[in-house]
This record gives sequence, structure tokens and C-alpha cells, in this order.
Amino acid sequence: MSDSLVQPANAARRRVSKLGLAKVFWRSLFLQAAWNPQGMQNLGFAYALEPALGELHPDAAARAQAALRHLEFFNCHPYLAAAILGGAVQLEERVASGEAPPESVTQFKRALGPPFAALGDGFFWLALRPAAALAAAISEPLLGMGCLAVFLLLYNGVHLSSRLWLFVRGYQLAEGLVEEVARAQVPFATTLLKASGAVLAGAIAARAVLLAGLHHRPWHALLVGSTIVAAAALLPRLRLWIALYIALGLGLALGSGLF
Amino acid sequence: MLALASVFGPQGPLHLLYLAAIAALIGGLAAVERKGALQLMLSRPIVLAPLLGWALGDAEGGLMLGVPLELLFLGGVNLGGNLPDNETLLAGAVTSMVVPAGLAGRGTEPVLAALGLALLAPLAVAGRRLERASERRNGELAALALERAAGGDPTAARLNLRGLLLPFVATASICALCVLCSPLLAAVRRHCPHRLELGLEGSWHVLWALAAATAIRAIRDARAPALATFGALAVAAMAFAFRMLVR
Repeated sequence: MSDSLVQPANAARRRVSKLGLAKVFWRSLFLQAAWNPQGMQNLGFAYALEPALGELHPDAAARAQAALRHLEFFNCHPYLAAAILGGAVQLEERVASGEAPPESVTQFKRALGPPFAALGDGFFWLALRPAAALAAAISEPLLGMGCLAVFLLLYNGVHLSSRLWLFVRGYQLAEGLVEEVARAQVPFATTLLKASGAVLAGAIAARAVLLAGLHHRPWHALLVGSTIVAAAALLPRLRLWIALYIALGLGLALGSGLF
Repeated sequence: MLALASVFGPQGPLHLLYLAAIAALIGGLAAVERKGALQLMLSRPIVLAPLLGWALGDAEGGLMLGVPLELLFLGGVNLGGNLPDNETLLAGAVTSMVVPAGLAGRGTEPVLAALGLALLAPLAVAGRRLERASERRNGELAALALERAAGGDPTAARLNLRGLLLPFVATASICALCVLCSPLLAAVRRHCPHRLELGLEGSWHVLWALAAATAIRAIRDARAPALATFGALAVAAMAFAFRMLVR
């Protein structure tokens, strides 16, 4: 990686102001507002970059041309896309200064989109969110409404700081970002969060069984326990709403004494 | 007068319109937050239901609905073009109907919650279809933006925010409608025979069992069942030890 990539401190280069960068970051929070099957996050990406393009290209026609470049297909995890947006701003600065061809921005987006999408989906959607929600659910009997704070602080503490860090480092490093993200040990954190989530889910299952068995109702506890085991085994083959009606029907029949 | 209060709540039918407006605003904002804006997880059932419940007058009731709904939909993930069931629409609708109905009667309790969920569960699937329709509309917006940018309009990408409109309006309307229909649920609850009450209470317990099972399945890891068993045994052992100590 050359120094010019790590420190884009070329005095002649056109730069986006800090306010412009802040606007791009704010708009990145609306990346999926017009998610569509054809271009996926294309419109959101172009929308987020608009303040930066406005500063870099005073001429309206050049600005429209740059916007058109970003209206091409783009898909990534919405949080990890912050890194690509940051990198795209730096590359647009180079394009506006004549240091790089416009195609370099497109290549950068195409190269980083899919791997960052996989990384973000695995960490945020499949590990952090379930773990944070399960931590909140298990704390609910103790904390009551405080469990909302548990969920939101656990999740957004990681989410917002990661998103901001990714955007800043993306802007500073552009292509060099890949090595930076690789050093972040995301797969290890994902494994750890999934393990914590599984233990918490088991704890919640035990809590449901124990609550059902309160007031000397061992059969209720047995029923709830059996339902958990059966549902865990059958769920992959059942649609959730069908399972939901089966559960409601089963409870209705047993609770009202039909069996 | 008493009969009217038992279905419309203590503050009467006009107050219901006020509650419908609140539910519409919060439900609509949650629908937008779910995918199109921020994604701070304010639209997840565990957050939305208590917040909406609080705004409608019963935060604890909302929490009672939100926790099992969160567990039920924990595994739903929007990966690429694959759409999960719409947990936000269901949580918003159930809370909008059950909480005001509870305020008119004995509060939000398992019987009412099971009734509301049984009635509104298909909304989770309908919400997925709504999202598909919204995506088709967004495709048209993207095509229009491309056309405008090609024509020299540098602000064409601002069409992006129009994509938030359909989810907001649709979810807001459904939540408002649910509040307005809550007197019907309150009336059904009032006339529930005792045996049906017992059955619906049983349904709520079994629903918790299903929620626990879906939570385990939501952890997409080969070791999840073994780790969940460990967690369950640890809690059972702690409960047993606590019981011994109390004796």
C-alpha cells in the first residue's frame, strides 16, 4: 500500500469538508430507503454521496455524471457499507483532482461489496442481534422495562461505534481498508456471540419450563418442555405462522381440558 | 355508560381516535426504521411493543407482548433479496389492538394477548408481501432517478427518501385500524366463557415454549443445541439450588 493511499494529504487534491463528510455519514443511515431488486442499494448510495459530490464537482453536469456512476448496482450490509462510502469519498476526491480514473470508484465498490456483505450479515444479523435480544429477554423478569436499555445499549453500542469507525477508516484508507477490517477479528467475535446466544436461548427455554411448572403443575412443565424440544426439531420444516397456530391450538385444547 | 367503558375504555370513543393517531405515528416510524432508515433496532418487537404500549397507556402490557414476539421472530433475517416475515407490522398491530382493549377491561393479560395474536398473526406474512410491493415501487423510483441523472439532474438521488413513504403509510394505517377495532376485541374478551379463558391462557404458555424453541433455532450454529442444553441445565441447577437454600 502506498503512502498516498494511507495519507491522502496531497495539497493540490480537492477535499470534502468535515461538514460534508458528516452529511455523507448521516445520509448513509438512509442507505436502504429505496432498496429495490434491480439496483439494491444504488439509490441510497448515490443519495448518501450527494453532499460530497456537490463539494467536489461545482459544475452541475459533472455532478450529475458522478451521481450516475453511483446509481449502478450496489449491495452490501447496510452497516459495513459505511466503510465503502468512506472509501468512495476518498476515491471521488482523487477523481475530481485528476489523480484517478472514474472507473476506480466502481471497481472499489464492486470488489468490497460482496465480502463486506457476508461479514456484516454474519456478525450483526446472525450473532449480535440475537445475542443482544436474548440478553434483554433473560433480564426482563429482573429489570422490567430496563431490558429495553440492555438490548439497545448492547446492540447500538457496537453498531454505531463500528459504523462510525468504518466510515472514518474507509475515508482514510480506501483500498487499505481490507487489511484493517481483517485485523478486527470479526469471525472470532461472531463465534463468541453465537455461543453466548445459544446458552441464553437455553436459559430462556428452562425458564419457560420452570414457570409452567410453578404451583405444583409438573404436567404443565412437561408439556412446555416437550413442546420446546418438538418445535426445535420441527421448525425448519414448518412455516412460523403455521407453527404459531399449532401452538395456540394445542394450548387451547390442553388448557380448556379437551384432552 | 359502564358497558360503553368496558369496550371503549374509561375515556370513551373520542380518546380512541387520539390513540389511533399515536399508534399510526409510532407504527409508521417503526416501519421506516426497520429497513429504510437508521436501523437502530427500535422497530424490533422487544422495543416497539413496550414503547407503543407506553404511548397507548400500558408499557408493561406492551412488554408482555414484545418479549415472546421478539423470540418468535429472532431468526428472521433480511439477506439480500430474501425477505423474512414482517415482525414490526405484527408487533405494532398486536400492541395497537391488545393494549387499548386491555385498558377497557382487566389490563393486558395472557388471554387477551393470545386472542389478539391468533387474530393478527397473518399480518406477519401480509407484511412481507407489502415489503415486496414497496420494493417494486422503489425499482420505479431508481429507474426514474437514473433517467433524471442521465438528463443532467445532479439531485436525482434525492428520490431515495420517497421509498420511505409506502411502508410508513401502510403500517400507520394498519396500526390505527387495529386501535379502532380494539373495542371488538374487548367485547370478545368480556364474553369469553371460563373454559375458553383457561384454554387461551394455556395457549400463551405453549406460545412461550414455541418462542424459546425458535430462539434456539435462530442461532445458526451447529453447536447451538448443545450449548442451549448447557444453558438450560445451568438454569435448572440454579433454580434447584435456590429452592434448597430457601428450604
